[in-house]
Amino acid sequence: MESDHVSIAIEMDTDIVSARQQARELAKNLKFSSSELAGIAAAISELARNIITYANNGTIVANIIEEKGKKGVMIVASDAGPGIPDISLAMQNGYSTSNSLGLGLPGVKRLMDNFEIKSEPGKGTVIIIKKWVMA
Amino acid sequence: MKVPILKQGNILIATIQSALADKDLINLQNDLSHQVIQYRANGVVIDITELDVMDSFSTRTLRNIASILKLRGANTIIVGMQPDVAYAMVQLGLTLPDIKTARDLEEGLILLHS
Amino acid sequence: MDEIEKSTLPDSYVLMNKMGLDENEVARRKDWLEFTPDDEARLLELNEMAQGYATEVIEALYEHFLKFEDTRKFFENPTVLSRVKNLQKEYFLRLTKGDYTKNYIEERIKIGAVHAAIGLDVKWYLGAYNYYLRAVGERIFKAFKNNPDQALQAFFSLTKLVYMDIGLAIDTYIFQREMTISKQQEAIRELSTPVLQLREELLILPIIGAIDSQRARQLTEQLLHAIRDKRAKVVVVDITGVPTVDSRVANHLVQTVDATRLMGATLIITGLSAEVAQTLVTIGVDLSKINTVGDLQGGIEAADKILGIPVTGKHDDTLTSTN
Repeated sequence: MESDHVSIAIEMDTDIVSARQQARELAKNLKFSSSELAGIAAAISELARNIITYANNGTIVANIIEEKGKKGVMIVASDAGPGIPDISLAMQNGYSTSNSLGLGLPGVKRLMDNFEIKSEPGKGTVIIIKKWVMA
Repeated sequence: MKVPILKQGNILIATIQSALADKDLINLQNDLSHQVIQYRANGVVIDITELDVMDSFSTRTLRNIASILKLRGANTIIVGMQPDVAYAMVQLGLTLPDIKTARDLEEGLILLHS
Repeated sequence: MDEIEKSTLPDSYVLMNKMGLDENEVARRKDWLEFTPDDEARLLELNEMAQGYATEVIEALYEHFLKFEDTRKFFENPTVLSRVKNLQKEYFLRLTKGDYTKNYIEERIKIGAVHAAIGLDVKWYLGAYNYYLRAVGERIFKAFKNNPDQALQAFFSLTKLVYMDIGLAIDTYIFQREMTISKQQEAIRELSTPVLQLREELLILPIIGAIDSQRARQLTEQLLHAIRDKRAKVVVVDITGVPTVDSRVANHLVQTVDATRLMGATLIITGLSAEVAQTLVTIGVDLSKINTVGDLQGGIEAADKILGIPVTGKHDDTLTSTN
C-alpha cells in the first residue's frame, strides 16, 4: 500500500514547493475534491514560508489520519525559531498576509478543519492542521 | 526554473510553470523590468494557468511586478487563474486589487489592446 | 440479483476499511463478547456434526422464509433460491470452521452488504440467526445429552459468535443506509443548484434554500469550475430563494466575488433585498465589492451590457404600413 506519511526539511524556497507538492500527492490518496487539495497545498505553502521567514529552518510532516471512521490528512509544521510572542494577535483577522507583518495564520485556519498552535518565545513553534474528507 | 518570456509586438507574455519557487518569481520580476524597457513593451501578460498555488509571496510579488511595470509604462494582466487556486487564495485573505485579470491569453491580449 | 452482485457492490475489503473494521476493532468486539480461543476450539469440535445436518437446517430455514410474504419475494426465482441456499450452507458451516479473524469478518460484511443491497429488511436478516441458534442448539443438546454442561458451553460459544455476526450485520446495514442518505443529499444539493448557461459567456445560478457552510463552499467550487469550463465572462447569482442571508453567507458571497474576479470574470448578485443589504452593512460586511442588482432580469441586462450585447428594449419590430 502507498505511503501514509511524508516528511520534508524546510530550509530554502524550493523546499516550500516540495512540501506542498508532496503533501498534495499524499492527500490525493483520499477522496478530497480538487478544491480541497488546492487548499491544503496553499496552507502548507504559507506554513512552510513562515518557517523560512522567521525561523530559518524547520520541518513539515504530513500524515494520513483516521478517527471514528473519518479519514483525513494532518500536517505538522515545526521549527526551533524565535516563537510567536502574542499568538492571539497573530490569529486576529486583520493580521493577514496582505500586510507583510502577518503570518497568514487566520487564512490557514480558514482553509482547514482543525488548527492548533503551540509557540513560546525562545522555544520555537509547532502548528498542527487537519483536513477531513467530507462523507 | 526560468520563466519563459515571449514578445508579441509591444506585448510581453510570461508563462509560469507549476513548480515556481521564490527565486524564480524574483528573477521574473527582474527580467520583466528590464525587458519592458529593452523592448519598449506597453503591456505584459502573465499566464498563471499552470500555477498550483497562489500564496502570500506570489501575491506580493505579482503586485510588485505590476507596480514596477506601471512605472515603466506597461500594463500588467494576469490570466488563467485556476478556480481552485483562486478559491484557496481568497480563503487565505489574499487579493490582487490593482491588477487586471482575464480568463486566458486571448482575452488578456484583447484587454490590453482595448 | 445477478446484476447487483456483479456491479454495484463495494469491494468488501474497501467496505471494511470505510466502516473502521480493522484488526483492533475485531479484537475489541471479541473482548466485549468474551470470545476466547476456548470458544473457538469448542466451535471447531462442532464442525463434524454440523456437516451432518447442514443441509437439513438450511432447507428448513428457507421453508421458513418462503412461508412469509415479506421474505418469499426475494426467493421466487428457483435458480436464485438454489444458489442462495448453497451460499447459506457455506455460511452456516463457516460458523464452526474456526479462524475468526479478518477474512471471516470480510466474508460476513460481504454477505450483509448483499442482503442490504437487495433490500432485505434487517429484521428478516437477523431472523435467520435466530433460526440457526435454535436449530443448532437443539442438535447440540441432543448430541451431548449425557453431558448437558458441555452442551451448554458449546451453545454459549456459538451464541457469542452469532452475536458478533449480528453486530457486523447491523453495522453493514447502517453503513449502507448512511451511504444512501449521503448520496441522496449530494444529489439534492446538486439538483437544487444547477449552474445554467444562458448564453455564451453568461452563466446564471439561482440559489434556492438555506445555505450552510458546506453548501456555500460547494456552490463556490461549482461556480468557479463552471466559469472555467464554460469560459464565462459574467455570472449572475440570484439569492431571492435563500431564506436567511447572515454575515456568514455574505462573507462567502464576497469570497466568491473575489475569486470570480481573479479568474477574469464578473459576478453579479441579484435578489438581495434592501432590508438584508441594510442589515449586512450594519454588521460591517463590505458590500461595495459586490455588484448587486434588484432582480434576475435586471442582473441579466447588466450582464449583457458587460458582454457588449445590445439590451433589447420593448420596441415594436413590426413594419408599419405605408398606406
